[in-house]
Amino acid sequence: MRGTLDLSRPVLFATVALLTVLILLPMGWLLVSSLLDKQGELTFGNFVTLFTDSSFLEPLETTLIISVSVAAICCAVAAPMGWLVARTDMPMRRTVRTLMMATLVTPPFVGAIAWEMLAAPNSGLLNQLWRLLTGAGADQSLFDIYTLPSLIFVIACYTLPYVFILVANSLDRMPGELEDASSMLGGSAWQTARRITVPLALPVLLAGALVAFLQALNLFGSPAILAIPAGFHTLTTKIWSLFQFPPKAELAAAASLPLLLLTILLLRAQSMVLGRRSYAVLGGKYGEPRLVRLGVLRMPALLLCLFVLAMPFFLPYLALFNSAFSRVASRIVSAETITLHNFRFTFVELSSTLPALWNTFLLATLTATIGALLALVIAYIVARKAMVGHRVLAFLATAPLAIPGIVLGVGLFIAYTRPPLQLYGTLWILLIAFVTIELPAAYQQLGSAFHAVHPELEEAGRMLGASRLRTLADITAPLLRTAVAATWCFVFVAVLRELSAAVILFTSETKVLSVLIFDLKESGDVGAIAVLSLVMIAITTVVVALANWLGGGGGRGLVRS
Amino acid sequence: MATVELKGLGKRYGEAVAVQDVSLHIAHGQLVCLLGPSGCGKTTTLRLIAGFIEPSAGEIVVGGRVISSPSRTVPPEGRNMSMIFQSYALWPHMTVAENVAYGLRIRKLPAATIAEKLKAILSTTRLEALAERYPGELSGGQQQRVSLARALVVEPETLLLDEPLSNLDANLREEMRFEIRRLHDRYRYTTVYVTHDQSEAMTTADLIAVMNLGRIEQLGSPEEIYDAPRSAFVARFIGGSNILTGAAVDASHVALGGGTLATTGRVLAKGERVSVSVRQHEIEIMTAPPADASNVLHALVGRQVFLGSARDYTVMLDDKTELRVTAPPDRNIAPGREVWLHLPAGRCRALAQGDNA
Repeated sequence: MRGTLDLSRPVLFATVALLTVLILLPMGWLLVSSLLDKQGELTFGNFVTLFTDSSFLEPLETTLIISVSVAAICCAVAAPMGWLVARTDMPMRRTVRTLMMATLVTPPFVGAIAWEMLAAPNSGLLNQLWRLLTGAGADQSLFDIYTLPSLIFVIACYTLPYVFILVANSLDRMPGELEDASSMLGGSAWQTARRITVPLALPVLLAGALVAFLQALNLFGSPAILAIPAGFHTLTTKIWSLFQFPPKAELAAAASLPLLLLTILLLRAQSMVLGRRSYAVLGGKYGEPRLVRLGVLRMPALLLCLFVLAMPFFLPYLALFNSAFSRVASRIVSAETITLHNFRFTFVELSSTLPALWNTFLLATLTATIGALLALVIAYIVARKAMVGHRVLAFLATAPLAIPGIVLGVGLFIAYTRPPLQLYGTLWILLIAFVTIELPAAYQQLGSAFHAVHPELEEAGRMLGASRLRTLADITAPLLRTAVAATWCFVFVAVLRELSAAVILFTSETKVLSVLIFDLKESGDVGAIAVLSLVMIAITTVVVALANWLGGGGGRGLVRS
Repeated sequence: MATVELKGLGKRYGEAVAVQDVSLHIAHGQLVCLLGPSGCGKTTTLRLIAGFIEPSAGEIVVGGRVISSPSRTVPPEGRNMSMIFQSYALWPHMTVAENVAYGLRIRKLPAATIAEKLKAILSTTRLEALAERYPGELSGGQQQRVSLARALVVEPETLLLDEPLSNLDANLREEMRFEIRRLHDRYRYTTVYVTHDQSEAMTTADLIAVMNLGRIEQLGSPEEIYDAPRSAFVARFIGGSNILTGAAVDASHVALGGGTLATTGRVLAKGERVSVSVRQHEIEIMTAPPADASNVLHALVGRQVFLGSARDYTVMLDDKTELRVTAPPDRNIAPGREVWLHLPAGRCRALAQGDNA
């Protein structure tokens, strides 16, 4: 076609070029650097070090233990909870579901900090409570957060919601007739659950396990906060430690590759598993599923759910609020000791707070705007097959999904600390990192929004004489307005929480909120940490609520952190 | 308004051929139906006319101007055509009035003219009362009328309809068929109408183009298509036909099914294989051999179904060929009985050579 379409050819080339630079440049340098030594000579030395030195092999082993355990715990807890919420008459099941979703608002590293406040061997609130109740000595403690099992527990706390939502949603969609058919043939409620519901939900559970595994694999914040004081490393913290002075970028690059490969493999496995889920969500009109009557088990089931919710939700928030309003973080705040001292310290005395907040807002706003626009253009081109090469675009836009934040951080560090683009130390490199990381989620969200706009709606405009651009402005844009706004909100929130790439790329001039919190951990300003964490969570909650109100739905934008 | 001419039009996607060598002359003010099963290329042809896709061969000429050819395609917005979409494609964020007036606004007409034209078309399509409603608040039939109004109000040179009635229920569909014909008689736009429903085509079209496998099988008036199907495909697709195959014994007679039939349609060469089509309801079924034994075949009743207004028989000829016969409802013959079938010579149509389906 001619006319306005010719104008869009440059747009395609520009977008492809931009995405290529965004993704291929850091990844290319990552690969190249991993094969170079300090002098820039070609070598396999980095990999030899990696696979022979026990200081690299141990983190790999630890990471795998953590990931497998987290996946197992999450499935074991999320499956029965999802079933209770979606398929039984448990009281307050809607509230339980909402609270579980609300858990997603907490960035995992904030959760880890909160658990540190709760269960550090000496100062931990739970340990103090235990000593108070049992009269045990000051040197004794019930919990020790600085251990591998504790780390697994904390990571599982903040991975659980993803698996739970996946399971509960799939049980929601499972047609009730499939279970009714079993009842008609004489199956009791329990038999039906065991023989029909569970097998139908198994693929989703498997997908959930993979999601949990991936989350645990690529998480940086929680292990950095809990494992390093405990004296062990995971892959992500090991990569990070290679950037502490003196930086060993080549080794870090080599150490990033196993993480990257594992992630790609798992994502492939996940899409294969989820690709087969179709039989659980067969179309057609089905009735509401009948709820299983729990009888006398109704209250115990609810108590169990509330107990589980205490781990990622009630207890950590209690600890955060306590620390924020208490002069000494390890004391339970009372009417006499409540203070706003920590707020004054954070916002007035601490000189790095306001610049970090400003950087964060600037980056979040820019990333959300650029990311949403870029995703919009790509989604349009792909959904409408507007040009040759739209498949390449779709691939490039989803590729960052397979790049762990910390790996991207390493790649960008190497790519932009050398000519022609020396961006390290500026906000630009963080902007590039955030746009790259958030692009897939934004693209997927807008892509599905485009699929909801029937192409004939646009064609009708063109038949009546409107050009392609005019049709976009008059018809497509108004229909997508809410989806774009929701995407913007989700990207904004995701940037707010991003730590793993930022922690590699920040300098003292370009600190962001998440890095500031992470840094304060070193200096031990627990009050300020609690205040800043609550500020971050408050902003997140408001923006997510706004996005949900706009009709974006789901927590999809939060999936990566 | 203008004539629309398709000249040797073709569209292929890689190896797959969607449309092949389609030539069609649509006179000014004519309503042509593209009729065929799904995948026959009718919608592709329509979208080629609309300009949404570019042809790989041939050209489209409207009013003497080439608007589509493999080298140059005028975009949809430059063609002054209107289209009714299968989904109606009403914009959900605009009211009925806004939807209908959109094309007028694009044409930058003065506000007074827009208001006037809008009022006129809403009254013609009986939508005045719904002008401020949103599409989501309308029934299927009302949506359909809005989509007609939106397409007609811009006074297009050509009107395209893509299975416009497929989303309506049976009663409404019949009503809208006449509505479309009524509006066409009133405005007389050159119209191309795509459907897979033969009765829809029969009621609305001046000319029907039956399409199969990307080609036009037969072009003609509804009567011609019905009375003189040129191929087994057309015979089967338009009204239930039996297709019998045998060998020609002379220029007009064919030996088949244990007898000999006089046929019409074309001159046969002695000895060639010929397919003959006979409609189910044109066969007379009898329980005794008639006095005049010409064009009579002997058969056994296999099965009969009472349909209320008719009886549907499946009978087996002496050579085991099965035939379907539609008989009056009072002719009740038990399965297994011997029957004699009279196939009137004027209704036994020898199909084109090489078409032995």
